[in-house]
Parts: sequence; C-alpha cells; structure tokens
Amino acid sequence: MREISVTVNGRARKRMIKDNELLLDFLRERLEVRSVKAACWRGECGLCTVMLDGHLVKSCLVLAVEADGREVKTVEGITNDGELAPIQKAFVTHGAAQCGFCTPAWVLATHELLKANPNPSDADLVEATSGLVCRCGTYNQIREAVAEVSAASKPRREPRESLARA
Amino acid sequence: MSFGSPYTTLPDFEYHKPTSLEEVLGLLKQYGDEAKLMGGGVGLIAFMKERLMSPGHVIDVKEVKELKLLENVQGKGLTIGAAVTLSDLLEREVLKKDYTVLHEAIAKVADPMIRRRATLVGNLCEAIPWVDSPPALIALDATVAIAGPDGRRSVPVGGFIRGPVDIDLGPSEIVTGVDIPQTKSSHGAFEKFTGGSEFSLASVAVMISNGGRNRRARVVYGSVNSSPIRSAEVEEAIKDGISPGSIRKAAEVASEKVECVDDVLATAAYRRHLLKVITTKVLRRMMSQ
Repeated sequence: MREISVTVNGRARKRMIKDNELLLDFLRERLEVRSVKAACWRGECGLCTVMLDGHLVKSCLVLAVEADGREVKTVEGITNDGELAPIQKAFVTHGAAQCGFCTPAWVLATHELLKANPNPSDADLVEATSGLVCRCGTYNQIREAVAEVSAASKPRREPRESLARA
Repeated sequence: MSFGSPYTTLPDFEYHKPTSLEEVLGLLKQYGDEAKLMGGGVGLIAFMKERLMSPGHVIDVKEVKELKLLENVQGKGLTIGAAVTLSDLLEREVLKKDYTVLHEAIAKVADPMIRRRATLVGNLCEAIPWVDSPPALIALDATVAIAGPDGRRSVPVGGFIRGPVDIDLGPSEIVTGVDIPQTKSSHGAFEKFTGGSEFSLASVAVMISNGGRNRRARVVYGSVNSSPIRSAEVEEAIKDGISPGSIRKAAEVASEKVECVDDVLATAAYRRHLLKVITTKVLRRMMSQ
C-alpha cells in the first residue's frame, strides 16, 4: 500500500492504494465518484473516460498510482457552481440520454471537443467520440445537442445599421 | 468493492517509476524476468487482466527523459523515443508530410483516448501479428534502438520481430526508441482491411523513392502471417512505375506469392483475396497523387 494524492475536480484527495489498483476503481470505489462507469474493463466502451492532466483517457487502462500528483476531471467538474454546462442543457433539450449509463462519458467527451473546437464537423464529432459507445443508440440526439451548442457559439451577425434603417 | 474478479482486476505487482535510463537498467538487472516494462500500459494492463502476464514488478518508463525524445534532424531522420505516444506523433506536422506511410498507419489505430496513452514502441514490442505500425516501419527501413547491460545496439524492425509475441530483446534490455532514416524525394501510403474487427485482417505499407535511376520500391504486408512480409515480387512489378497495368500485375503477384495463414481472424484464402484488394487500392491512390 502507498498513499497517493490526486486532484479530482479541483479538490485534493489522498487515499491509500495498492500498486495494482486501476484509476477506475480508485475513482469509483475509494472516492465514490460514480459517474465514472465500469462496463467492459478493456478499453472498448469508453464509459470510464475521464480527463487526466487535460487529456481524455480511459480510466480502466490507467493505474491509480500513475495519477499521483496529477489532475483528474470527471463530468462533475464541468458544471459551474451547480449550473449545467451548455452541452448538458442541450443533452436534456434533445433527449440525448436513454438509459443514461453512458451519458457522463458522452457529456464529458463532447464538452471537451467543443472546448477545443467550437464548430466541429460531423467527421470531427465521429472521430473524437470513436472510442465511446451508446447501446441505446442516441447518436443522432447527441449530434443534435452538439450542433446546438456549436451554433450558439458562432458570432451572430448584427444587421448593418444602413440596411436596418432601409 | 469490485476487486477480486478476474478480467476486472490486476495481479499483484510492485510499481516502479524510474526517471533515468540508468535507473531502468538497474531495475531490469535486479528483477529481469520478473519485470515488465510499461509505456502507455494499454497492452500490458489488458494482458494482466487476462492473466496472460503476471509480472512481479512493473517498470513505468513514461517519466524517463531520454525516452520522451521525439526529434527530426535534417539529413538524419526521425527519432522516436519509447515513451512517445501515438498522439504525440500525430500532432507533428513532419510525420504527415515526410513519413506519410507511418502517419496513415497510426492515425486509425483504436481511438483518440487510446492513442493518447499507447506508444509506438509499445505497439512494436507487443509483436501482435495484426497491428499496423510494424509494416509501415519496415517500409521506412526503420531500426530499433536497444540499451542493455552490455551497452547499446540497433537492429532493423524486420529482424526485431521474430514471430508472434516474440522479439529480439533480452530480459535486462530495453528498447529506447525507433530511428527512421530521412525519406528523400519519396512517397508512401498505407492501406488496411479490418472488416469491423479491432485488428487488421490484412494491411500493406508502400514506400517509393523517385531518385532517378535509383528508383526503388518497398512493399510490406502485415496481418496475413505471423510477422510482416516484404514482397520482392510486388516491388518488381511496380519498379518501372505505377500504371493500371502494373497495378493489375502487382495485385496478382501479391495474392499468389505472399504467404498467408489461417488464424482466428480469417482464412488464408480470404486473406489472399484481401491482398488483391488492398494492393489495388493503395497503388491506385498513389498513382493519382
């Protein structure tokens, strides 16, 4: 056993862990961050996706000890003082969750995509989320939610004054 | 807690995180056969869950400065350290421009989250017959740089991979990186067929140098046999240029001469058909470039 310290959603968390513990188990079982889902355990479904030092990774393929001294962000970390992020509101509007099991991973991944690329093409969205599955098949609704946030971020063109007067 | 059931947990091991190559070599000398080196961990963690590997010691090399090296030296070529991830590589403009065949081979590996962790050297050292980077590296004439208790040595990628999960590396040695000679007035391309599998059923990497009289082609097939196969017959078929006629000839000899095997992913007969398809596809694309 050894003690590690990981900053999770801005808060430093210290726990004793075993060397062979997965980051997925550390988050779910030791810290009770239950939005991080355990499903395939082999890096195929992507539902255990978290941000590790600013990059999306699958936490079933990361050792907890590797996160020592580093920063982890989960879907809980994207809300602002309890207010839902735009992509979360859009998921609600478009019914982009069916059973909801994969939703935290999809919200986190699409949130990060939109942060890096505010106007992603369909191909960008497919590529960025190619490591995630949704067995209810809400892909279309997720695409609509992303499109809504993307459209809202485009600068609106105000009518020019001369034209407005005409 | 979910700890305890196989496939979701890892066997017990001691974790080491050295920061210098000397430290790595010291740990390897001490633990040898009982130790496994870990780059991105993608393969190792999966193998450990399946209990295909149960090392007593895991040596994480991600923080070893020398292994993080990724540099392109004019006149020499590209050096890729063992801790360099596929994402690190794909973010480099030079890879797409000058080492297209490798860029195409790794751009479609798994997904962005896995590429953020997986390393090129890890991919190579697993020596799984169905992965895509080895044929591309052989087409580029790349060599593997190895450090061990007796100093350093380097071997061509083709010789380094001896067979499925079998590489030319001693228990107290480490692959420090891969060296790719500079590509001069040449172009390359990669094609694969997965049929929806996580692995390729057949792949092909092509490099053609256009150095006037020194024009030469390197054509390497992956995933059809226990290790990648370079085909002199296909290279001969396109040595005078890529045309509809030479493409037809190349596709035929690929299907006839490249030795394919039956395995869990596909039959040899299906692979022979795929060789025709991917050879035609990759050469047509190169002809129109």
